[in-house]
Amino acid sequence: MDYEALKDQWSEIEDRDGIRLSWNTFPSSRMEASRLVVPIGALYTPLKEKPDTPLLQYEPVTCKAPCRAVLNPFATVDTRARLWICPFCLSRNGLPAHYKDITQDNIPPELHPSSTTIEYRLARPAPAPPIFVYVVDTCQEEDSLKALKDSLVMRFSLLHPNSLVGLITFGTRAQVHELGYTECAKSYVFRGSKDYAAKQVQEMLGLSTSGIRTNVPPQPGRPAPVVGPAARFLLPVQQCEFQLTNALEQLQKDPWPVANDKRSLRCTGVALSVAVGLLETSFQKRRWEDHVLREPIRSHHDIDKDNIKYYKKALKFYDNLAKRVSHNGHIVDIFAGCLDQVGLLEMKGLCNSTGGHMILTDSFTSSQFKQSFVRVFDKDAMDNLVMGFNASLEVLTTKELKVTGLIGHAISLNKKSNSVGETECGIGNTCSWKMCGIDPTASYGLYFEIANQGGPAQHQQGPQKGMMQFLTYYQHSSGQFHLRVTTVARNLSGPAGDPAIAQSFDQEAAAVLMSRIAVFKAEVDDGPDVLRWVDRMLIRLCSRFAEYRKDDPSSFRLEKNFTLYPQFMFHLRRSHFLQVFNSSPDETAFYRHVLNHEYVGDSLVMIQPTLDSYTFDQEGSMPVLLDSASIQPTHILLLDTFFQILIFHGETMAEWRKAGYQDQEGYENFKSILEQPKEDARELVQDRFPLPRFIICDAGGSQARFLLSKLNPSTTHTTSAYGGAPSAQTIFTDDVSLQSFMDHLMKLAVSGTS
Amino acid sequence: PGYPSHGTPAQQPGMGQITQGMGNLAMPNQAQHQAPQMQSRPQMNQLYPTDLLNQPLNVSELDLPPPPIILPPNTSVTPSPDANCAPKYVRSTLNAVPTTHSLLKKSRLPFALVIQPYSSLHDHEDPVPVVPDQVIARCRRCRSYINPFVTFLDQGHRWRCNMCNLTNEVPQAFDWDAASQKQLDRWARPELNHAVVEFVAPQEYMVRPPQPLVYLFLFDVSYSSVTNGLLATGARCILESLDRIPNADRRTRLGFMAVDSSLHYFSIPRDDSENGEPSMMVVSDLDEPFLPTPADLLVTLTECRENIENFLGSLQEMFQNSTNAGSCMGSALRAGHKLISPVGGKLTVLTATLPNIGHGKLEIREDKKLLGTSKESTLLQTGNSFYKSFAVECSKNQVSIDMFLFSSQYQDVASLSNLPRYTGGQTYFYPGWNAARSEDAIKFAREFSDYLSAEIGLEAVLRVRATTGLRMSTFYGNFFNRSSDLCAFPAFPRDQGYVVEVAIDESLTKGVVCLQSAVLHTTCNGERRIRVMTLALPTTQILADVYASADQAAITTVFSHKAVERALGSGLEPARDALKAKLIELLHTFRKELAGGNMGGGGLQFPANLRCLPVLFLGLMKNIGLRHSTQIPSDMRSTALCQLSTLPLPLLIQFIYPKFYSLHDMPGNAGVPDHETGDIVLPPPINLSSLSFVPYGLYLIDDGQTQFLWVGREAVPQLVEDVFDVPDRTQLKVGKTTIPILENDFNDRVRAVVEKSRDHRSKGVGSIVVPSLYVVREDGEPGMRLWAQSMLVEDRAEQGVSLSQWLGMLREKMSEEGGFLSSFS
Ligand SMILES: [Zn+2]
Ligand SMILES: [Zn+2]
Repeated sequence: MDYEALKDQWSEIEDRDGIRLSWNTFPSSRMEASRLVVPIGALYTPLKEKPDTPLLQYEPVTCKAPCRAVLNPFATVDTRARLWICPFCLSRNGLPAHYKDITQDNIPPELHPSSTTIEYRLARPAPAPPIFVYVVDTCQEEDSLKALKDSLVMRFSLLHPNSLVGLITFGTRAQVHELGYTECAKSYVFRGSKDYAAKQVQEMLGLSTSGIRTNVPPQPGRPAPVVGPAARFLLPVQQCEFQLTNALEQLQKDPWPVANDKRSLRCTGVALSVAVGLLETSFQKRRWEDHVLREPIRSHHDIDKDNIKYYKKALKFYDNLAKRVSHNGHIVDIFAGCLDQVGLLEMKGLCNSTGGHMILTDSFTSSQFKQSFVRVFDKDAMDNLVMGFNASLEVLTTKELKVTGLIGHAISLNKKSNSVGETECGIGNTCSWKMCGIDPTASYGLYFEIANQGGPAQHQQGPQKGMMQFLTYYQHSSGQFHLRVTTVARNLSGPAGDPAIAQSFDQEAAAVLMSRIAVFKAEVDDGPDVLRWVDRMLIRLCSRFAEYRKDDPSSFRLEKNFTLYPQFMFHLRRSHFLQVFNSSPDETAFYRHVLNHEYVGDSLVMIQPTLDSYTFDQEGSMPVLLDSASIQPTHILLLDTFFQILIFHGETMAEWRKAGYQDQEGYENFKSILEQPKEDARELVQDRFPLPRFIICDAGGSQARFLLSKLNPSTTHTTSAYGGAPSAQTIFTDDVSLQSFMDHLMKLAVSGTS
Repeated sequence: PGYPSHGTPAQQPGMGQITQGMGNLAMPNQAQHQAPQMQSRPQMNQLYPTDLLNQPLNVSELDLPPPPIILPPNTSVTPSPDANCAPKYVRSTLNAVPTTHSLLKKSRLPFALVIQPYSSLHDHEDPVPVVPDQVIARCRRCRSYINPFVTFLDQGHRWRCNMCNLTNEVPQAFDWDAASQKQLDRWARPELNHAVVEFVAPQEYMVRPPQPLVYLFLFDVSYSSVTNGLLATGARCILESLDRIPNADRRTRLGFMAVDSSLHYFSIPRDDSENGEPSMMVVSDLDEPFLPTPADLLVTLTECRENIENFLGSLQEMFQNSTNAGSCMGSALRAGHKLISPVGGKLTVLTATLPNIGHGKLEIREDKKLLGTSKESTLLQTGNSFYKSFAVECSKNQVSIDMFLFSSQYQDVASLSNLPRYTGGQTYFYPGWNAARSEDAIKFAREFSDYLSAEIGLEAVLRVRATTGLRMSTFYGNFFNRSSDLCAFPAFPRDQGYVVEVAIDESLTKGVVCLQSAVLHTTCNGERRIRVMTLALPTTQILADVYASADQAAITTVFSHKAVERALGSGLEPARDALKAKLIELLHTFRKELAGGNMGGGGLQFPANLRCLPVLFLGLMKNIGLRHSTQIPSDMRSTALCQLSTLPLPLLIQFIYPKFYSLHDMPGNAGVPDHETGDIVLPPPINLSSLSFVPYGLYLIDDGQTQFLWVGREAVPQLVEDVFDVPDRTQLKVGKTTIPILENDFNDRVRAVVEKSRDHRSKGVGSIVVPSLYVVREDGEPGMRLWAQSMLVEDRAEQGVSLSQWLGMLREKMSEEGGFLSSFS
């Protein structure tokens, strides 16, 4: 099969199963596996929208314990004997009584060959509607606060009327609003400079049932409280709409004085820990939480030097909080609406380990914020929120494969099984992970190793297959629990040196999976170490899979399905995921958060932005190299970095536009060229979350730096010093260009020294 | 008239004669008209020895004025009748001062001032002349204020201080009226005509601009306070009294906090803001109470009037479902202190719960087994040091605390009363109070409303200066002694009395000494003022003069304060013993030094002007605060001790020896307005003895705090029906009551007497107390009857002796050999 056909096949599989693998043929020995350099990995989107797949309204048929694999198209079914053989453990299982009528032609949906992914609606109903706790910072200017209030009020209207809501505001103090109280606006106030334990929070909110505070029995004739004590703070939105709106409307800028040379004191940490304490009271499980925050500024420099103590303390505080929150099944979304540093770096664990969203925008007044904020509440055709709660993802493997870890927004459930590998990549030593929140685009990097054993088992006919099964349990926002099952089977390689392995390399998936590992490493290791690791891995991969004569770089050739991979790595090295100098700590935390959430296609855009060019002598746009050479006076460029969409007018284009030619007769063509990139940009923005920042700029304009920073510096000030008048934009950078990067790569790859 | 000569008790004058004699002597003008040169020494009060045994006490003697202060002619610079201080402001125990310490010591009498700077809750009820021009002439050396007893020299250009003798310049503006730009008649200046005046103070008298009046109300909103109606009644009462709260300068500020196991703050918006709804902020972190927001917790009454009304109107509903039994009142006080201390002001606490959480947490200490034992006094002492130390902190920050206590269970009044004690506040206790009983609701509402209306002073200090040789040695009352002679009052109340003991350090050479009490304060209208009260007293070298001018009511007041101090320090029994010993010592001293050592025919000799002292001391020892008993809950005791150490003199004397009136046979003029004054005439008081009862009678016993209507066991149905509107005695319900208004003359008169008996103004004192009225049937519920009978000071009861036993015992002690040294120095 040629490369294009393979790509189509992988794309089809991605559509069907929400999965892309780095290798689509599995090596059959550990030795062979170790030479792959890029690990066997899967980027899996468990809740990928699949409107065509039927939702099965019955319980799944599972293999006996401890296997518990779900019946799938790869199982061998003996319709006569009413038996099925589990492809994972090879056990024989009886078919349940109601399957007695199945025949070869009449099989239940889960056995259909196309049902490699199937979803069950389980009989287990979720115990209660989701809870939304809003944690709002009041240390901001009136207009910003006003915009935020408006967004919040609008958002309540989007909630299911049965959803429970809570409101916490904070500035110098943290306030929990008692929405169930109708006599007047009422809130519980917490000191901003203190760390409250959950038990304390509950006591202080009057939620504990012991002690002197409630030792008077309800009197006859006086109404006993109808619901649990926390119901004073968390109410169905339809019940507390008035109080909620009222509380928000009365919200004012933090009234405490701020010294001139100081920034407002905020107690984000206390507010969050109070929020967690509140939810822990009587809602131990399956809840949802949501925040809107800002916090004082820090730069990477501060963290590296002076404030390291504070940073570490804060990080520890938030990490502990994240543990509690994820343990409880709460989700933390953080919406930051300001240019200040809000402390996302410290708080990132809250989102990352709970499957919450993290959104960083310039201002709450920006449309970027407003629309992203609403997008979190997208609903499906059934008017259910497009999100799942309190999910778990479990991985089963056949015995050749072992799972080594997961990289994505989840925490370990510490479940041991035969499928758990010896090494660890990402969150490992478990076959099961928990996601407090999960949405249809949430994608997880899963990594595998080959078990240390002899050749493939000989019990089956035909090519031997390695298999994985992904079981995702989650609480659907309709209230029911669902189970999504994806079963993946791939051929195992033949004898050592089987070329099928190299042919099965999906460079796009591999690049994304490797990026996740790099970012995961970057969270703990020093920047340069991670870059060296990226380089080393790339060189080793090229040494292993390129064709070349030893020590002859000019002989270096890569197969088609490897050619883009070095470029991806080149851009990854330069990206703000690994280069933190031009970003604030919060931005870095934000970018990494998003990278760990998206599927292959969007992740690639983040790693290597797309660049399209528009000019007179072509129809529509033309993809061009992400290279400074692409900047031409008579071209308009459209750059998509996922986080930003930028339209750049070349020098001449900009001059003409400023001169107003587009409005003159006879220049309709020019006008349409001006319009096209805008239309295309709108198209790109359509489904994107979070909404990207939109920039229009001209050659020489200050905003153009966003473009230049992404371009390969093929013509830098050092190179142009030799040439005549450069036809392309000169980039003032000391970065190596793609060309010299490739030159080095080839040299090292063929030297065989890696 | 022929008065008996000095020291010859052969002829016993009737009481009427003595009264008349004193009345004559009380007119110094008349004395001046007698030829002074004929006397070798100034005219003094005559000593009239009487026999306490042979001549029983007539209770009307208690109402006699103190022996007159007889000053030599022309002692004051103006002939004004008000040149010397009236007894309702300042009373001296001795209206003739011994010239030496040894004479005072020999007399065994105390030398002290009983000071009541205010005689009413409101200025207009008892106006005091004001010196408005801010020209305040003070002695350069001793800082005394110019007063009617100075001397002008050098054609009036200089004045000699009557305290320290220093010659001072008369201020330039002293004779100049800046307003009319005219010469002023110096002799018309109030401070030279009136011993009691108020100076409007200029800038120098202010450490900071005058503070506004601030009330921060701390409402208990726990279960008991909600269910007994305290919260609702308190809130409604404030709501209805908003117009009465002094606010002439429109700066008065109010704040509200609610307290259960948490602190509830209220932010009340201004009337002109968009949203008029108050918001409640709850703070449960009691470790170190903090303010939830920096603004809007203390609001200006004038600017937020409507929203305050809205708030008070809904306060009850906010907590109607409370089941919280906690009270973190100590923490609330700290929080309240934090809130108002930048300005200063009143913390008004309304609570029905023992503080059981947070700062100043208290335990239920009450132990019936300890009552009546020597350990009882531990229950009367503070249970948590917080209450003293915090009170002192409040005093420093100009914060005064008043406690309104309503618990139906033990509330530890002993500990809580420390807060008012050191901050110029007061403790009001309403045992078993319930708003469902209209008498309770009305009593509290009336008192609380009057409380709110009182024109209290702020940021006040009291200092007493005196003629060289005299020194203020000890101070009693609710305040904090900031330095040896300065009493600090964050707020100055108008319903309390103070006692200052005076030591004679050097022999007094002058015929007259002066004692000047000055209260520097900020009025509730934001004006800095000094109320100055100058008392001039003659001196004497003769013991008989000292005795003849001794003020029995003032002496009793002094020993009431001392007994309270002793009770709290050493115990109840030592306090009673000290009182007894003191009385014996005085009787002994009199017998030995002035009655020639003879027993006067087996009687018990004492001067006429001190005849009430034995019965007053007996009353004091039998008062609920001090008497020996195993039945008195310590909260009741503590409350009484507070009263014994704060009540202004007329109310204190009544509290010690209650008023007792026979109503069924009151004279025709009683219970109806006097022809001339229009005031209701009270029946003549009778002795507090059950011998006074006739079985068919109706009586009123009134100690100023509680009134009992005693219905005899044979009271005729007609009387019962006329007064109570029930057909006969047996259907009369005992307990708290209100007399119905009926269409008959007797009903009118009884009600008029009951009401008049409560009238503080006619007693010359300010007070908010409205006594509860109880009906007691002689043949009714015994508990109630015993309670009423405990007021009958002359009866024998429980472990207290009757008056005749008391006098008999005293006489026995007189015949014993040896002297008695009182343990009261
Ligand atoms: Zn199995
Ligand atoms: Zn002087």
